[in-house]
Amino acid sequence: MARTKQAAAGSSNANSSSVNGSQKARSPSPDPSDRPLGPLAVTVPAYDREVVKVNNANLTELKNACDDAVKRFLSRPELFKQIYTHTDVRLGLGWLSVFVAAGTAFYGYKIDFEQSKPVVTVGLILYIILTVLSTLYAYFVEGDTIFVGKRKTFSKRIITERITLSSSTPPTPKVSSCPSYSVSLHYVRSTNGGKTLLGRGRTKGAAPYNKFFDANGVMDQPAFEKWVGGLVETAMDGKAA
Amino acid sequence: MFTEELKAFRRLGFRHVLLQVLNFASVIASGLMIWKGLGIVTNSESPIVVVLSGSMEPAFYRGDLLFLTNPSSEQYKTGDITVYKIPGAEIPIVHRVMETHDVPKSIDIRKYTKSKSKSKPQPGEDSKQDNQLLLTKGDNNYVDDIELYQGLEWLEKKHIVGKVRGFLPYVGYVTIAMNDCPQLKYALLGGLGLLALIQRE
Repeated sequence: MARTKQAAAGSSNANSSSVNGSQKARSPSPDPSDRPLGPLAVTVPAYDREVVKVNNANLTELKNACDDAVKRFLSRPELFKQIYTHTDVRLGLGWLSVFVAAGTAFYGYKIDFEQSKPVVTVGLILYIILTVLSTLYAYFVEGDTIFVGKRKTFSKRIITERITLSSSTPPTPKVSSCPSYSVSLHYVRSTNGGKTLLGRGRTKGAAPYNKFFDANGVMDQPAFEKWVGGLVETAMDGKAA
Repeated sequence: MFTEELKAFRRLGFRHVLLQVLNFASVIASGLMIWKGLGIVTNSESPIVVVLSGSMEPAFYRGDLLFLTNPSSEQYKTGDITVYKIPGAEIPIVHRVMETHDVPKSIDIRKYTKSKSKSKPQPGEDSKQDNQLLLTKGDNNYVDDIELYQGLEWLEKKHIVGKVRGFLPYVGYVTIAMNDCPQLKYALLGGLGLLALIQRE
């Protein structure tokens, strides 16, 4: 059963490589017999897919729809569990700055202006520091990342995998061609508590948006998932298609 | 329209809802902080005010927006346009300074103000700079402001909110409209909030 599914994955790899941009892989190539389930091998029975309909002309909506589809696709049971570190840092810093601002404003409202000046100044500076920190974190540390996932499987030993996906919409050179969705994956497989590296893969792929969205803006989710799944499996195999 | 949004929220999870609310809350927080920061930088309680009456025509008309500063080393001169607030009066008044008398630090100013309060002077007030006694009058009024002082003979520097540095005509009518008709205020805030909650960056 597993072999036929892998063959199907291999052929979809060949299909998707004709559309992909550039791909590169890094050694060492992981041992194929050791390879845990890839996303294409895990078929979930026809679950209630909600129809995703977006505004075709709005690039942000298109990208967000694709990002959400990736997150849903890779967070299914048996697949990766999403790590929310980036989101939590942004949420923490953001809400802290909101509370600092609210407290400072309330204090300034209750106490006379002259007496409240030192405290309000301190609160203001604290707010500015938190906001700058949050912005710098989102720009430099988080960057384009949309999904960070982790999985632990047990075949002969406990294998830990970590996958990071980032996506962007690069500017199109020609006005007439369709903008494309560019995704970049980084995959690491290790064991022994992260000390022994089993394999690593890095993949990039790009596809035009009109491959997944029809004229009305309805998203073709199975086709999108097949494309992303192919990329993930390529990264898991650690070799260029 | 709402059912779609609610479905989207349930699908995307709790963190997403928190993020969207954070978007909205941080817009409000940054507005508050900009206002407070402006107050600190200009050393004025309310650095932007709206003209409510016509007592300063033809210089300022009702609905003009005024920008104030109040540097602590400022000695006001005849001809300055100041905004002041009498303790006990709700609304600040914008009028022109007619007379000033400088009171050096060594003299206790309360001898001249006939102020009703028996309290000692607060620390931090009048300690570094010379205080001043001021008399004001609106350009479009026939009499000076003694009637408005509620028993005081002179204004002191602590009553002054700031001196007018610049103005924008007509912009203040938005505030006047929102004060006269509170539903407009809530409608505007509600609309902005809805927009911030629904959009994703």
